[in-house]
Amino acid sequence: MADEIKTEGASDTSHLYESKVIRSSAPSRKKAAGRLKSSTEIPRDAIPEIHVPSWIESFFGGPIVATTKFLPANNTVSMLQMSSAVVLFALSLLTLAFTPVSGTAWFAIANLIGIPIIGGIIHILIMVVGAIGGFYGIFQRDQRALLVSYVAMLVVTLRFAGSKVEFGFSFLPEGEILQKILLIAYAVFLVMYFELTSGIIRFSMLDTSIRTGEVYVMGEGKIIRQYHQALAITPIVAALVALLTLLINLIVPGIVGIFDSVQAARLSESVELTSVYGVAMGTAFVFTIVAAAFAINLPLRIQQMQESRNN
Amino acid sequence: MAWSRKSAMFAALAIALYLLGLVLRNQQLVTVAVVLLSFLTYAAFRTTHADVASSGRRLEDAEADAGIQLQSIVAMRKLSSARVFEDGEIDVVLRIQNRSNLSKVLEVRDRVPEVMRIKKGANYVLMELGGRKETEISYTIEAPLRGFYTIGPVCVRVQDAFGLFHNEREIHLYDDFLVFPKMEDIKDALIKSRVPKIFTGAVNIRNPGEGTNFYNLREYIPGDPMKKVNWKAWARSGKMMVNEFERDAVSDIILIIDSRSVSETGPVSRNSLVYSTRAAASLAQYFLSRRDSVGLVTYGDEIVSIDRDTGKKQLYVILTKLAGAMAKGNTPLKVVTNRILPHINRGSPIIILSPLEDDPTIMDAVRDLRARNFDVTILSPSSLEFEFDARRLDRTGYEVLKTERDILISELRGLGANVMDWEPDMMLVTALAGARGF
Repeated sequence: MADEIKTEGASDTSHLYESKVIRSSAPSRKKAAGRLKSSTEIPRDAIPEIHVPSWIESFFGGPIVATTKFLPANNTVSMLQMSSAVVLFALSLLTLAFTPVSGTAWFAIANLIGIPIIGGIIHILIMVVGAIGGFYGIFQRDQRALLVSYVAMLVVTLRFAGSKVEFGFSFLPEGEILQKILLIAYAVFLVMYFELTSGIIRFSMLDTSIRTGEVYVMGEGKIIRQYHQALAITPIVAALVALLTLLINLIVPGIVGIFDSVQAARLSESVELTSVYGVAMGTAFVFTIVAAAFAINLPLRIQQMQESRNN
Repeated sequence: MAWSRKSAMFAALAIALYLLGLVLRNQQLVTVAVVLLSFLTYAAFRTTHADVASSGRRLEDAEADAGIQLQSIVAMRKLSSARVFEDGEIDVVLRIQNRSNLSKVLEVRDRVPEVMRIKKGANYVLMELGGRKETEISYTIEAPLRGFYTIGPVCVRVQDAFGLFHNEREIHLYDDFLVFPKMEDIKDALIKSRVPKIFTGAVNIRNPGEGTNFYNLREYIPGDPMKKVNWKAWARSGKMMVNEFERDAVSDIILIIDSRSVSETGPVSRNSLVYSTRAAASLAQYFLSRRDSVGLVTYGDEIVSIDRDTGKKQLYVILTKLAGAMAKGNTPLKVVTNRILPHINRGSPIIILSPLEDDPTIMDAVRDLRARNFDVTILSPSSLEFEFDARRLDRTGYEVLKTERDILISELRGLGANVMDWEPDMMLVTALAGARGF
């Protein structure tokens, strides 16, 4: 038997078998295994499987966006998919209407090289990527496609606008309030697109967990109803806050007008107040009030009030 | 209130768009940013509104008989049993009460030990719990490995409908349970003491005395009762012969378990310590049912012994000790035998459960025991096989180590010990019979 065992150098234990060897115990098996094995290979089952993402995965997936396999969509997810598709369609139209190519980087580069049409093509192309990527992501529940769509939808709006609200089409209204309402509608649709598509992934994950028995849901209908209610209420609240912010150039002169009509007229004609900086001031005003509400712990007080009322 | 990754990304995006909007003087970007911020703010407002404990006050958990009090969410847990054997099941019922008047959407996760398997139901529940209502979550866990375990705490989470913010709270509700090593039914351990105790009992020992099993024939001595005379033997031999019977008595059995670090070599569920504890549990049950007194010694980083005793109570004491046996340290067997020998009746059966590894004193210890006429049985779960089966050992290493192990076992047998190289798929009864030479 000793001849059959091949070992190397100092690890040769053949002398143990050549003659009678009296030992008091077996040698340390761990030590022996370390000496006798031909390689120091780590056992296969001792190494956890680790997927190292490529740089593309790192950017558009991997640690940022996981690829998850879902079970077929249930009613809630299908409804969300349909809603997202409708919102995306509306968003695509609004984006087309609200974002003229002028002021974009690709417009400037196309003009620089003397082929302005290229700017327009790139502009449309980005919107198409945003829309198609979005539709694909919605129906395939592919988070990477959705991320590409988000990026495209945001990139296309990056343009120097010179504080003016400009439309891509001439038939759209020119009244300031109407313009701002449309602008808010666009913003709300964009945010709702983000929310609904992330809702698709969330509810798909939840549904998969429920069906695989990982999670149990009690009162699923009520939970989904709450989500639907939030989907209806939150955009309205967000739109109202945004409207207050954007119409600060009308609100401030209105308040000042109670005390001094001349100053109010001057303020309403102020270029700064109607510009993007006026909106910035409005944001500061509105969110200062919101911050104050949090500072005095208003949410808790409302809760306490409700609790005591019910008691 | 904790932020989710989604809310953090929304906030970062809103700030970035806002700043870009100002730089590019683009009202469209600023509007998107404002809507995003408003969206986030409203969600945060709503989340705090439906908070479990958002006040910032420290809520003192008051323990009551029924469970642990919280401000508005109360949890109570009931286990079907606090003691199970390996592969046994425990039904857990978790009752969640909402003492507030406000309805809440809660995520409840009852934390179970990692090694446990959820067999039925779920310990993670998403629920809508109405004001002043309660609900029950039931699930069944399977306990595959012996040990002391704790279920809890209960994690309760409230989050807004969009999953942007959440509040989490741990309800410090813990329930302990014990998983005993599983036992194998043993018909006959083939182990009998040669040394009687004072009290007679149900077990015959290999000494003549008052009993029912035939032991021997001997010549009649005046005073022997006539009912013991074997008439056939008298007729055959011409001498008056009487039957002798084995003396019924109880004996002391000492189980020694090797729980040194090396005994846990191999996979978690298949290693020497797991096998040893299961064997010890089975043997203890068998001997105690025979009304023997059984003592247990485990040695690892320290020597822990349970005095010999009889009865069902002793079985549970032994099982509890076995459930908590941890692989630690490297105390040699010789130290153990030196410590316990003065306290054991000479000639008592001693059963050693050890992988026989990493201990240069094994030979000396067994030699000492044999010299004092102890009946030594060694059951040695072969961790080589565990490791080889798990493919952690290559063929050459295995062959060499196996040969070395065989030599050691032969040497121990040479000392008069009954040794069995216990392979993983062998039943305990078979291993015992093998050890005793059957």
